[in-house]
Amino acid sequence: MSSDSLKYLEDISVIEGRPSLRSIDDVISKPLDTKPDTKYYIALAITLSMMGIGGIALIFSLYYGTGMWGNNNPVGWGLPIVNFVFWVGIGHAGTLISAILFLLRQKWRNGIARFAEGMTIFAVMTAGIFPAIHTGRPWLDGYLFPYPNQHGLWVNFNSPLLWDVFAVSTYFTVSFIFWYVGLIPDFAILRDRTKNKIKKTIYSITSLGWRGSNRHWQHYEMVYLVLAGFATPLVLSVHTIVSFDFAVSILPGWHTTIFPPYFVAGAVFSGFAMVQNVLIFIRKIFNFEHIITLDTLEKMNKVILLTGMLVGYAYGMEFFMAWYSGVQVEQFTFVNRAFGPYAWAYWIMVSCNVIFPQLFWFKKIRRTIPLMFVIGVFVNVGMWFERFVITVTSLSRDYLPSSWAYYTPTITDFAILIGSFGFFFTFLLLFTKTLPVVSMAEVKAVTYGAQPTHKDH
Amino acid sequence: MSSTENIIDYNKKGLPPIFGIFGFGLFGIGLGLSILAYLIEPVRSAYNNVILLEFLSSIGIGSLFLIALEYVVGAVWSTPFRRVFEILSSVLLILPLVAIPVYLHAHDIFHWTHLEVVASDPILNEKSPYLNMTFFTIRIIAYFVIWILFHLLITHNSKKQDVTKDIKLTKLNTKLSAIFLPLFAITLTFSSIDWLMSLEPHWFSTIFGVYYFAGTFLAAIAAGTYLVIWLNEKGLLVKGIGKDHYYSLGALLFGFINFWAYIAFSQYLLIWYANLPEETVWFLQRWNGSWMYFSIFFVVIHFLVPYFALLSQPSKMNPKTLKFMSVWIILAHFFDLYWIVMPTFSREGFVFGWIEIGFLLLGLGIVIVVFNLKAKNQNLVAIGDPRLKRGLDFRL
Repeated sequence: MSSDSLKYLEDISVIEGRPSLRSIDDVISKPLDTKPDTKYYIALAITLSMMGIGGIALIFSLYYGTGMWGNNNPVGWGLPIVNFVFWVGIGHAGTLISAILFLLRQKWRNGIARFAEGMTIFAVMTAGIFPAIHTGRPWLDGYLFPYPNQHGLWVNFNSPLLWDVFAVSTYFTVSFIFWYVGLIPDFAILRDRTKNKIKKTIYSITSLGWRGSNRHWQHYEMVYLVLAGFATPLVLSVHTIVSFDFAVSILPGWHTTIFPPYFVAGAVFSGFAMVQNVLIFIRKIFNFEHIITLDTLEKMNKVILLTGMLVGYAYGMEFFMAWYSGVQVEQFTFVNRAFGPYAWAYWIMVSCNVIFPQLFWFKKIRRTIPLMFVIGVFVNVGMWFERFVITVTSLSRDYLPSSWAYYTPTITDFAILIGSFGFFFTFLLLFTKTLPVVSMAEVKAVTYGAQPTHKDH
Repeated sequence: MSSTENIIDYNKKGLPPIFGIFGFGLFGIGLGLSILAYLIEPVRSAYNNVILLEFLSSIGIGSLFLIALEYVVGAVWSTPFRRVFEILSSVLLILPLVAIPVYLHAHDIFHWTHLEVVASDPILNEKSPYLNMTFFTIRIIAYFVIWILFHLLITHNSKKQDVTKDIKLTKLNTKLSAIFLPLFAITLTFSSIDWLMSLEPHWFSTIFGVYYFAGTFLAAIAAGTYLVIWLNEKGLLVKGIGKDHYYSLGALLFGFINFWAYIAFSQYLLIWYANLPEETVWFLQRWNGSWMYFSIFFVVIHFLVPYFALLSQPSKMNPKTLKFMSVWIILAHFFDLYWIVMPTFSREGFVFGWIEIGFLLLGLGIVIVVFNLKAKNQNLVAIGDPRLKRGLDFRL
């Protein structure tokens, strides 16, 4: 029988080969035990420079004011909001992989969950920059949190922008705790391995006295399950509320009821593409090819295909309903999107998000690394443009034709965007050298023979 | 005992006669009441017939969706009882029959069929390229053809595998399912627009297809869950189906209760918040007169009760809780459809009488009768499926 048919009959191990438990520890903690090479420093230099560019642009924006950006009437929401939604979206894949796939008992997630969850945290941090600077006076952002103050100043509880503050900060907190709890058994492994006194002290503290006893594991599993249960509705709520930022308004192109599930699907879509892109490098550089297998990448590509089609469904539905509604301005908005001044952005979005991912119908393409990488990049470009199309096209053609205008982002806008990528990837690089990017404990649970079946009973 | 023997052990046993008798009883009473209803109040009956049609299509197409999903994602836990869902999806075969009376009464229930009204109403006039009898007929025929075709193909291959044990049939069904899923999304959405949304032809909502999908899938899982547990308790399936499988069904029910609530709430909140008259009209109608009480009651029935009943881990594996909640959710889905359809008929407040009960009994009767008939001439377990053994070995 061909090995292809065998997969129907047998539970194929997630980890390729039969590595010993010791060798798993060795390969995963190797980046922490060895000094980084030149390539690492070159990469870090690049990301830090990008971050520097963004930092300079930001300082100028704060000194001279947000007039440095392209935002103006009628397009009051430009690149900062586009970038915010983009980065929050990137974060969603991490929680989907670490929490939702955990609840669905998908074992293939074990090799990639830690890394994806780390990307979530960094992506949310990156995203958080944008609303903070978009207020124009970031030193006053403390007032976003409702607390009784001597000015008698209160936030507007009716505004989804405020719900964002709550949703994103809660999401960040829970994601961080979830991530940290997952790290505890691994910290204990590192503590027991290291010969360095300083590291030993640090790992002893961070591993919270973990001894790997049966009782510890029982409590750990329960906490992990409960946190996964918490993280699941939270991740949905975050992008749902981000979609509310647009959808509660009455602006055509923004106000449509499909936005919440459509935004969540889009977030998972772009997040998966980003995780897939980065993992392709990680598995190669750190020799994780037997842990983050081609099968795992193929499964991720299937998720990208699915979510891409969900997004495509939403595009189609929006168009159909705009016509079906019989509301003139609604119809105009969508015709304008596809054929108006921003048609170029619209068609980049459609081709990157709906057309190219269809290539993943072919198994060969799902399993060819250069091709999947390129499609992943396209998806991220497409999803950035999706937010651009939604935010800008609707505003630039509002209800009053005399105020119509064409929005062009300035060089400062782009510099901040570059800076956000630098910020994100700097954290990612530091992460790969300071923490185990794959969960050693979880991977051991999916190696060959780790899960006894009940057939022998 | 090893599970290989269990598979060989499977001997086809007939369903207990009481099942058929009960089904025919419901069907008989339901049919009698429905015919009487058509004689006395034809318009109200036609509206009820829409509910019946959508109720049956939910169970049929939702089951087929679950089957296709199992093939596409390569799930094993549901393989031991996939056949139950296959038999359930046979309900699709009689959908065209149920649609005929609605179609004949289209003029009474669909406002957009009145050409003189459409001519004088600019919005309906704009929609007339979509909402007209010819295109409507073509569409509903297309839905039925696509659904029934895929139902026949997939179940035929699955039944054939009982004898041949050929893995190629699994591969073939996987491909068919992958083709079916996008078609399912499109046909289900537009069928919900045609049969349900167009009852209020001015109203529109982009999430409506997703909303109907959530209810559809929920009703199908609930019907399947009840039957799986009941058949398993009677020993009519294979040995090895237990709490782990029940838990998965329970978790799926719980998950989709939440999904339904999420979608329903999103639709409500966005329309309420934006407060645009062309959209709020639909919810205002459902807040009019005694409909207000029904709407509140409906949230409790369709979300709060099942949510708390299925929240805890033990309750998701408890066969008694699951059976009870399955029936509850099936009825909740009926009320969901009732809440969508009936406000168009009775604008001042809700009406619920023997006519509604009659059509509900007819719906339940049809499901049971069709299941009973179809279960007679096939195995209740897909004994030739290569994943069956893994499915029986499935543990949480």
